[in-house]
Amino acid sequence: MLRVEGLSHAFKNGNETTLVLQQISFVVHKGEMVALLGSSGSGKSTLLNLMAGLMKPTEGEIYIADNNIVKMNENKLAEFRRTHIGFIFQAYELLPNLTVRENIELPLVFQSERPSIRKQKALKLLEQVGIPDKGDMFPSQLSGGQQQRVSIARSLITEPSVIFADEPTGNLDTKTEEEILAILKELNRTMNTTFIIVTHEREVANQTQHIITLRDGRLEQSQSPEPDQAEEVIQ
Amino acid sequence: MRIADLTRLSWDQVRRRKVVTMLCAAGLSIGCAAIILAMSIGESTQEIVSSQLNSFLKMDEITVYPNNGPSSPPGSTESKDDEAAKRGALNDQKLEIMRNIKHVKAVAPFQEFNYMEMTTMDSKKGYALIVGTDLSTLKDFGESFMQGDVTGTTDTMNAVVLSYGATLDLLDPETRSKLYQSMDRNPYDENIRKQYESLRTTPTALFKQQIQILSMQDSGKQLTSPGLRVIGVLKKPKGQSDINIAQDRKIYVSIETAEMLRKELFPKNESENKAGTYNSVKVKVDAEEHVKQVEDQLKKLSVNTQSNLLQKERLEEQFSIFKAVAVGAGVFILIIASISIIVAMTMSTYQRRRQIGIMKVLGANLAQIRNMFIVEAALLGLLGGLLGILFSYWIVWGINALILNMTQGESAMSIFIPAKAIPTGLAFAIMTGILSGIYPAVSASRTDALTAIKRD
Repeated sequence: MLRVEGLSHAFKNGNETTLVLQQISFVVHKGEMVALLGSSGSGKSTLLNLMAGLMKPTEGEIYIADNNIVKMNENKLAEFRRTHIGFIFQAYELLPNLTVRENIELPLVFQSERPSIRKQKALKLLEQVGIPDKGDMFPSQLSGGQQQRVSIARSLITEPSVIFADEPTGNLDTKTEEEILAILKELNRTMNTTFIIVTHEREVANQTQHIITLRDGRLEQSQSPEPDQAEEVIQ
Repeated sequence: MRIADLTRLSWDQVRRRKVVTMLCAAGLSIGCAAIILAMSIGESTQEIVSSQLNSFLKMDEITVYPNNGPSSPPGSTESKDDEAAKRGALNDQKLEIMRNIKHVKAVAPFQEFNYMEMTTMDSKKGYALIVGTDLSTLKDFGESFMQGDVTGTTDTMNAVVLSYGATLDLLDPETRSKLYQSMDRNPYDENIRKQYESLRTTPTALFKQQIQILSMQDSGKQLTSPGLRVIGVLKKPKGQSDINIAQDRKIYVSIETAEMLRKELFPKNESENKAGTYNSVKVKVDAEEHVKQVEDQLKKLSVNTQSNLLQKERLEEQFSIFKAVAVGAGVFILIIASISIIVAMTMSTYQRRRQIGIMKVLGANLAQIRNMFIVEAALLGLLGGLLGILFSYWIVWGINALILNMTQGESAMSIFIPAKAIPTGLAFAIMTGILSGIYPAVSASRTDALTAIKRD
């Protein structure tokens, strides 16, 4: 589903070059829920941005659904993101002037989808994320957890191949964090959607089926969780 | 992206960013109003001047004069001059030829006297220009009757038709003399002046009455014409003040009556007008665009012609310069307004970088982001244009109210907004909006999504 091959990335700062990722390679299968674990400065956010096509790597290839996104130009990438990639942000990033339902429909607006179909899909997703009655509200009228649920619904509306979640529980309290992770796991199970979650918290990573650990820009480990936690994931 | 979604998202921004919207719309509305006003004042002034010109100098009429030939060179014989005058004279035969020229609607001969004194049956006196013509052609030349008519009247001997002005300013000599004396004694007395003006502009009922024309001989002897029947009074001309109308005083008589009056009132000048020839002829053409063609045909009859085309062309040329300058000023204001839009929208683009970044991450491509900003700019243009239309109506209303106030309600002049000015003003405003929005739109579409969504 997602294949990263020999990925390296360096930032240039004047004459100085900082290597942030070095020869990263891994594979994520369809329907997997993967955690990209690492401490601050480990290069996990850079890796996420590269996989989402928001940056071009210095070296290496990234394949999503057999499409090499490194070779795509900006417009092609926009089109690819529109159809194959979903995003969940740490700070939700909902547009404040649009209602909850309009926010969820937005990716389909860029696909020129018919309004009736958009509405139908948005209402179904609102139910799936557990806020069926919030469609006509504005983001400012919702709690942080509810806003993140809207963000999840928005990422799912195009039925993408993979959803990238950048610290999705980073702004939430423990109880809400658990609720959001439960929703993600449920959606992963029922919709068979691939999730790649960037996190620095081991507890969050342990909830997934596959943990990719980064340290100082290198792939430290790519493994399944401990058996007792894996059982929890399966449940 | 669907047009409805594009418009909705853009309109949402226009509605939401009230300060930017107000700034841009205000600039554009001033420019749009300036263009509409420039066109309105230009068109209205041209219309007013043209209609006044038309009422005095009719555009579809040609005046034909006898051609007496070139001035005699030294040593030429008198008989040659006579021959030339005969060839260039206006006679019935030429009138008949003129009537048959293509596009000619009517032809009327004219014998004009000077202003002469007239007297009514109740001894009121006034002056009027005696015009000998074919009375049946008056209607063909745009005159209409307030009282009476000449259609079907065969006996026009000793009959007259009066212009409306000829029924005004008729006073008995005693009253007039008293009024003049009062005014001389009290030159600044408003009441006396008003009384005099009121008497001057009050019409005298002359229809079916008799009038006489008076002529004073060099010997001091006064000659009086036979009684003349008033068989018609023409309608009051529109768009002119009563004082002006009172100066347009004409008594129309038939050519035969004119000849009779000449014999009765100027017995010594018998040889001045040869029987069967006329001072001038007026030719009415079916449309203004045929005037030139008919004029060329008339010149072949060895006569002199005069139309008012040249005056009109000159007037149009002057107005086109005025309109171009005025519209140019409007466009200049719009250019200035466009700078405010560029600045306001560029600021707005900067403030909305994060939103643009999110949209890009969610799959919006360069064209979609650019189009959203361009539609937003076009909507600002539309809003500015609509406001501009409203402003221009207010300003025109204000100008008209001011004119009416200054002329105490007597002015026939008013500014109007021509129909084509509205779409022109609106189109200029929208185009300015779009053109000004291009740079901010391109700049917005080039926003780097990653930089935009990064939180410090």
